[in-house]
Amino acid sequence: MTRRKVKLCYIADDSKRKVSLKKRKKGLLKKVSELSTLCGIDACAIVYSPFNNQPDVWPSHNGVQRIVSQYKRMPEMEKSKWKMDQDSFLRQRIMKSNDQLLKQRKDNREKEMTDLMFQTLVGRSLDPFDMMDLNDLGWTIEQYLNDIYKYQSDTNNMMAMVAGSSSSSAAALLAPPPPPAAQAPTPDHGVMRNVGESYQGAAAAAATGSSSTGRFDQMDTQQWIMNLMSPQASFGGDDMMLPIGDTCHTPLWPNNFLP
Amino acid sequence: MEKMIKKPCMGRQKISIVKISKKNHLQVTFSKRRTGLFKKASELATLCGVEIGIIVFSPANKAFSFGHLDVESIIDRFLSRNPQPDSGANRLIKAHRNANIHELNMELTQVLSQLEVERKRGEALDKMRKASRKQCWWESPIAELGSRELEQLRMALEELKKKVAEQANKIFVESNNTSFFKVNAYENKTKPHDQSSVASSSMYKYWLV
Repeated sequence: MTRRKVKLCYIADDSKRKVSLKKRKKGLLKKVSELSTLCGIDACAIVYSPFNNQPDVWPSHNGVQRIVSQYKRMPEMEKSKWKMDQDSFLRQRIMKSNDQLLKQRKDNREKEMTDLMFQTLVGRSLDPFDMMDLNDLGWTIEQYLNDIYKYQSDTNNMMAMVAGSSSSSAAALLAPPPPPAAQAPTPDHGVMRNVGESYQGAAAAAATGSSSTGRFDQMDTQQWIMNLMSPQASFGGDDMMLPIGDTCHTPLWPNNFLP
Repeated sequence: MEKMIKKPCMGRQKISIVKISKKNHLQVTFSKRRTGLFKKASELATLCGVEIGIIVFSPANKAFSFGHLDVESIIDRFLSRNPQPDSGANRLIKAHRNANIHELNMELTQVLSQLEVERKRGEALDKMRKASRKQCWWESPIAELGSRELEQLRMALEELKKKVAEQANKIFVESNNTSFFKVNAYENKTKPHDQSSVASSSMYKYWLV
């Protein structure tokens, strides 16, 4: 079956419209029937084609009458609560689609920023970027670092449990630095997962499905960039100023971590 | 429907048309199918110019209805069986409402196509990520890195973060020295991506001027 996008407007061509009408009407009545059977509920449909005073109905003329009287017996308020017409239905669809659109844009932005993070990591210049990009970039880096810290600390905990005292020295060396102060709260574990399945991040830890609030929702823009520009607690890597080369191969690092 | 990314849902599965046994499965199915049904009805009405009325009782006995133009008049027409001649006023009202519906359909179409664009972009970004992961070890998921590599990555990122802060500081200082700071500076950049995605992120509303 070909899946071609159909324009949401009246089909001008008479013959095409007739064909479409026939197919869609059949499909619609089938769907009503399926819904009724699958969920064990009462449902009916009445379709008036132009130029035809007799409507097409489901389940049957009598069936429709029964359900219609059942419907009429319901209190007005109950009926109007769930009553829809094209206007209200379309508005609802538009709203839902808009929400999906915004979410998709945020996800895409996160993905872009992660890409940018890796590019700048290997040498792409920061010059062309404005404050907003830098802010998002910095935020992204921070979240990624948080994921790393979490993963490292979780790994240490596991190592400590498994290996006992022998790994305590290694654990001390790998202990993550204190996370940066006064950041907007982020959803635990959930950050990287919001960016889609291909970003596994700290997925090793607690892979529970988190509510999908993207981290950008919770960012307090001014707060973040102000914190960053004022002096703060130094990170573990202070003494190791490593040049970020612009090639892809692994740079040689001083081997001070593990004995 | 091909699946590009692994999703937690089960995708399209053929089911037999018998009453669903599991209660919450039934509820979910009802909800989804009811919406789908109304969507089909809406499309049929728009595309083929029919008048339609649907009544559906939920498992909890709530009465959902959909009608074009409105379900009550469809019911009346059905019950009375008399074809009602359209008065002039009626026809005018109908035309007005149809025009409104047409507007909404156009708006919906626009949003849906924008959504499609963003989805495709997302897929392209995923594809790029996947490809670059094969070449650059540091782009692999954190859980897949060895502890040495992870440590290297961590330090490089911390260094990068400082650089970003310095750069931000530089811009901030420069902006204080100029007469006024254009918030719309991003328009001048050579960004490969669509600008509207930047504008749509709500965080920018709060940036200083």
